[in-house]
Amino acid sequence: MTTKTGDQESPLASQVDPQTSVSRVPPPETPAAVQTRFRVIAAFWAVIIFLGFPIWWKTTSIYRASLPLEEMVHWADGKTCRPVFPLEIHLSTPSLPYIEAQHLLRTTQHTLDDLNEFAAHHLRLKLANDTTGDHTGQDSSEHVNYAARETPDTALTVRLLPQEGLASPRSELHAATTQLDVFYPPSQIPVSSSSNSPLSTFIAAELQQLYGEEKATIAHILSGDTARLASTSPQLAEDISRRLRRSMKYAETYHLSFSLFTPGAEPSSWDIEAAVNEYVSPLLQALSPISNFTVDTQVQLYANFAPTAPKPEYDESEAVWTLKKEGLSAFVNAAEWPLNPSIGTGPTINFILYVPDPSQSPLVVKENSASSWIVPQWGGVFLLNPPLSNDEQGSRSNPAHLSLGSLGPAFMTFSHQLLTLLGTPSTPASLPLRLQTSIRIRAATLLLSASSTMGSLARLTESLPSIPIPATVATSVSTTLSHLTATCSHLREGRFGAALASARVAETEAERSFFEKSMVGQVYFPDEHKVAVYLPLLGPIGVPLVVGLLRELKRIAAKRKAKAS
Amino acid sequence: MAIDRRKIAVFGAAFVLRLLLICIFPSLPDLLTGRVEVSTPVSSFKRLQEGLFLYTRNVSPYDGGVFHQAPLLLPLFALLPDAKSSPLPTAIFYFLVDLLNAHALISISASGQSVQSRLHSAVRKHVRWDGVSVAALFLFNPFTIATCLARSTNVFTTSGILFAVSNAVGGNSINAMLALGFASYLSLYPALLFIPLVLLCYDRRLQGPAPPNSTSFIVQHGGLLLATVAGLLGLSCLITGNFWEFISATYGFHLLVPDLTPNVGLWWYFFIEMFDSFREFFLGVFWLHLASYVGGLTAHFRSQPLFVITSLLGIFAIFKPYPSISDASLFFALLPLYRHLFPLMRYTFFAGAAILYSSLLGPAFYHLWIYAGSGNANFFYAITLVWSLGLSVLLADVIFAAIRDEWEQENPERVGLKVRQV
Repeated sequence: MTTKTGDQESPLASQVDPQTSVSRVPPPETPAAVQTRFRVIAAFWAVIIFLGFPIWWKTTSIYRASLPLEEMVHWADGKTCRPVFPLEIHLSTPSLPYIEAQHLLRTTQHTLDDLNEFAAHHLRLKLANDTTGDHTGQDSSEHVNYAARETPDTALTVRLLPQEGLASPRSELHAATTQLDVFYPPSQIPVSSSSNSPLSTFIAAELQQLYGEEKATIAHILSGDTARLASTSPQLAEDISRRLRRSMKYAETYHLSFSLFTPGAEPSSWDIEAAVNEYVSPLLQALSPISNFTVDTQVQLYANFAPTAPKPEYDESEAVWTLKKEGLSAFVNAAEWPLNPSIGTGPTINFILYVPDPSQSPLVVKENSASSWIVPQWGGVFLLNPPLSNDEQGSRSNPAHLSLGSLGPAFMTFSHQLLTLLGTPSTPASLPLRLQTSIRIRAATLLLSASSTMGSLARLTESLPSIPIPATVATSVSTTLSHLTATCSHLREGRFGAALASARVAETEAERSFFEKSMVGQVYFPDEHKVAVYLPLLGPIGVPLVVGLLRELKRIAAKRKAKAS
Repeated sequence: MAIDRRKIAVFGAAFVLRLLLICIFPSLPDLLTGRVEVSTPVSSFKRLQEGLFLYTRNVSPYDGGVFHQAPLLLPLFALLPDAKSSPLPTAIFYFLVDLLNAHALISISASGQSVQSRLHSAVRKHVRWDGVSVAALFLFNPFTIATCLARSTNVFTTSGILFAVSNAVGGNSINAMLALGFASYLSLYPALLFIPLVLLCYDRRLQGPAPPNSTSFIVQHGGLLLATVAGLLGLSCLITGNFWEFISATYGFHLLVPDLTPNVGLWWYFFIEMFDSFREFFLGVFWLHLASYVGGLTAHFRSQPLFVITSLLGIFAIFKPYPSISDASLFFALLPLYRHLFPLMRYTFFAGAAILYSSLLGPAFYHLWIYAGSGNANFFYAITLVWSLGLSVLLADVIFAAIRDEWEQENPERVGLKVRQV
């Protein structure tokens, strides 16, 4: 197919018919013809050399942006940053004179330091500036401007309140704020001379207990080994690893999907918008420093159990239908129920509100009569048994509409399940404190995960010299590293909200650089395969060109020799 | 005036035939417009209509990502009545362009450059068709008729090339460069014809009274071509407003071949299958392959620049990015000028059969693939391979015949001997 004109001459030049006549030999090529052939070959090769090779070089060379490999490996090995968690705790002593308060602070801090055995996580006491100490509980709603603040986050405010008629101090944690009230008998105010007092011991022990789980969790994350902390009971260690197993992997965005499933035609509507606004939105608002959330809802009628799932059994003694605990894993009919595994980027957390058929109502779990359970790393299920109504024929039916009131318990459960699925620790009792703990845990997790992604990327870059590294990857890597540094310094200074914000950016950029599409594509394209790409087309084109060139070179060499001799 | 009467008869018959076709089959133009063999993304009349619609409503015609043709066509077609409601004026306009092309062909043929030029004189120069026959072969070629009825804008590129050649053989080198500039502006690839065309002009000028200096002649004409294209681009810029948008939508589209709609060429299937990371490289290879023939052919047939143009047009019809049957029809239009080479050709039957076979089976296989769903892309691709094979065999055969002709001219005692490949 190559209509290469130089080759067309050969049949003519070697025109011979030996059988009919021996005298007919082709006339010798004229010098002009030789010249022409040389020109033709030169024209083709000029195109190849002056245009072909530059294009080949330009289009197939692999661009490898330089990455700070050593720095990346250091991050992964934990050499660059040792995360520390200095928690600032304000001590508000409205009824104590300054000197005494100072003394109490010192002794308590001393006791605390003695008790602490995990250096990365320590509590720092500080006297509150305003002695009225009434700015408590604001932190959880002020997360938006974390990054703007220069001062460390206040983890907890301890208010010391004298109370008559107490034998020993007692404490009270506010469930909705970050405030711990400690009531003490006025007689127990430490005297300046003593180095220890029951009150400071009590406060230290109280704080230690308050942050016990967090400390154990962070130690677990940083070292992957809970046994290191002597104070951690095996029970707590087991709890923590169970919680970490159950909770979802961290993601920038979670999709919450609330689904109403019922095997019959009713209920067919629910006050979902009101319920989400009432029970879920405030929680999502509080969780917004940690992740973004989207909410989807659906109603699915005539949703049957999978044929293989164990059927509910009737329990005569309790007059309820029961599901066996071991059968719960088959409860969700994954094949038929339209539970979209992924709505967008990021994982979906499914919450299923199941209203059993009137003939099988009420439905509970057999072993503990519970009506809800968590599916680890997937979502939660709630069995709602609404009051049945009797119609004229005497058959019972579910209500057609589920009001906000009847949804209340279910959504309380869902919010609790959401917190569990997101890995929020179960203690202490105050939600703002748990969220703060969550922020610190997430910051630690993300810091480690982004660092190890950097290490993986560095190793990948070193082990596969043929993959291209686009400039965007280099940009992402430098963004990641700078945000990791920022995270580390924020942590050191106790600004955990800002640390988490940086860590989130670092994690996102790290993932983006590691999963860069144009990089991954080349991994499956080893060098040997290039022969298969080049040869089928360039082989047939190249052979006549190369042969022509060789012939021409031979001719020139022969001519030189003839001239020389 | 006998010849003139024949010319009028041929032109009249061609005009009436086209008119009859659209009167008897009113749906034929729209059918042909939609055929991938006739309309490519860079020449489709449908896409032109889209661009025109946007243009007349003061929206950038390239906004829709559908229109990829030169912007100067827009004001031209905006003058014509709407093709949907009154198709006749547009159709007649295309008929007239066809007749003009035929007229240019007649003048090329009349110059006799194909058989006798400054450096070359064919052995069988008496074996030739006159201009009217050549024009008739062009006008009654089904490929030409299909292109004309489908209102493909390739027709204008064809005009540009034919007028460039006819002016060059007529010795009017400035007009030749203007026409080539117009063709290059429309379709980019005719710029590759510059070297043989300027040689043709140069040879013609040497036959005249005042022989010019070769280097300055070439530089002057190259400058003229560039100035023409630059002027047309400037005008386009005035029309569209956004220079880079129109450059990337037209020439970028030609060069980077982003639209892989099936056509009769070889690019679309290859680039569908190509790994993404090698796409740019093979784009370069394909374009260089197309361009590399210019140097070789010109060097070999330095004495016959018109033949170089003819064979390059054949190569373009096979290897250009968005070929259609109109490119083949341009090649077939110039081929009859080389009637004297026909006796030397060896595979005419095979080539003709392959071309006929593929032009009959091509639409059938396309139907099987796209509409019936009983075939796949390979059906149509196989047929386009046969089509390209037929054209390549024909082209190689013509080139062989031309070489043989030159050889016989050097060795007059061996005229008519059989050759055998060893």
